[in-house]
Amino acid sequence: MSGVRTALVPGVLALLPSYSSLEDPVAALRSACLDAVARLGPRIRVVASGATGGSGAKVGAALVAAVGAVVVEDGETGVLVVGNGSATRTEKAPGHLDERAADFDAALRVSFDGIDAALAADLWADADRLGGLPSLAEAEVVYDDAPFGVQYWVAVWG
Amino acid sequence: MTLELGRHSFGDDEALMMAIVNRTPDSFFDKGATWAEDAAFARVAEVVEQGAEIVDIGGIKAAPGVEISAAEEKSRVVDFVARVRETWPALVISVDTWRAEVGDAVCAVGADVLNDAWGGADPELVDVAAARGAAIICTHTGGVTPRTRPYRIDYDDQGGVVAAAITDTLAYAERALAAGVARESIVIDPAHDFGKNTFHSLEVTRRIGEMVATGWPVLVSLSNKDFVGETLGLEVGERLVGTLAATSVCALAGARIYRVHQVVETRQTVDMVWSIAGRRPPLRAIRGLQ
Repeated sequence: MSGVRTALVPGVLALLPSYSSLEDPVAALRSACLDAVARLGPRIRVVASGATGGSGAKVGAALVAAVGAVVVEDGETGVLVVGNGSATRTEKAPGHLDERAADFDAALRVSFDGIDAALAADLWADADRLGGLPSLAEAEVVYDDAPFGVQYWVAVWG
Repeated sequence: MTLELGRHSFGDDEALMMAIVNRTPDSFFDKGATWAEDAAFARVAEVVEQGAEIVDIGGIKAAPGVEISAAEEKSRVVDFVARVRETWPALVISVDTWRAEVGDAVCAVGADVLNDAWGGADPELVDVAAARGAAIICTHTGGVTPRTRPYRIDYDDQGGVVAAAITDTLAYAERALAAGVARESIVIDPAHDFGKNTFHSLEVTRRIGEMVATGWPVLVSLSNKDFVGETLGLEVGERLVGTLAATSVCALAGARIYRVHQVVETRQTVDMVWSIAGRRPPLRAIRGLQ
């Protein structure tokens, strides 16, 4: 990355204001995300999978706005990477249970290097932008859970 | 519009449940189940637990029957209102009465709303509401005498029953305003089945949006009424589904207060429709958004 502080959050659409409920189903995750993003300074570059303006980028931009920072293309004070592990951890997970998911996520927890893109696709992981991130062992991990059968990490490096 | 119901305020995105509490031996739905004061008190406790914001306490059934004097009506409701006020300070207390004398007595012991189901039959009721800082429900009855059934009433003028309901309730509202009742404390009610046959009540339901469009907050009293019964061929006690269907139509149009026997079912219906209308977020939505 660019030598500035970097954070990782999952592209959970429930974090968007337009999908807010009376009771927040992702309160702990939201709190962790806002805490992490608030540490990236006032100018944040968002790195998300998919097309510009895709759902990951939207979630990143919403979090940036929520902490009062702005999204920039360059001259950033911090980088926000949007991605997550598998979405097949349980029978109720979005992609249903895939027995390979737990090992896949455990491997990511050790290192984001050499991710098997085909397996990631099978497991509905949003992993395109995870490659190249330093290990979570080097980060401050403020959230690590799979509450809906989807593996989320919120982490800050640097 | 923000609602001021006596000492209580509600934002303009809130739909309110007004639970019916009868201190009568002969009302059509409960048939005297809460005639005894302790039974009525237990009914209030139940509807508060169910989340009703308002109780509507009545001492005289709407249908014709034995003449009830003002003194007798007061003996049924005044002490009871005082007891409810003392027990539930945050509850809105409405009293279903057309008599100014009764209205004054209940406001003196803590009633917040005068629900005049008979459309201003006693012209001094608005003065009581103004003097006591109470809210008033302005209903349309087509000018009938209190406790009479509609008989061959028709609304032939242009706009039919809805135009008549709007004209009369707005005239009543303006009269209340002129008497000194706060604008935020005036509610209009087309009064289903009052001065109306079933066709009229169905039309009022279908066109309730025209009443909402007047800008005055609208109360609807649909619960288990004869227009539901006649429409579906069902007796009292079998009309909940039909009531909720009518409730849905009124909720989509934006009626604010629902005068009901069944609080839980009506609340679910109105919450669901309120969310469909985009006025209330879902309670907890995560499906597809993980």
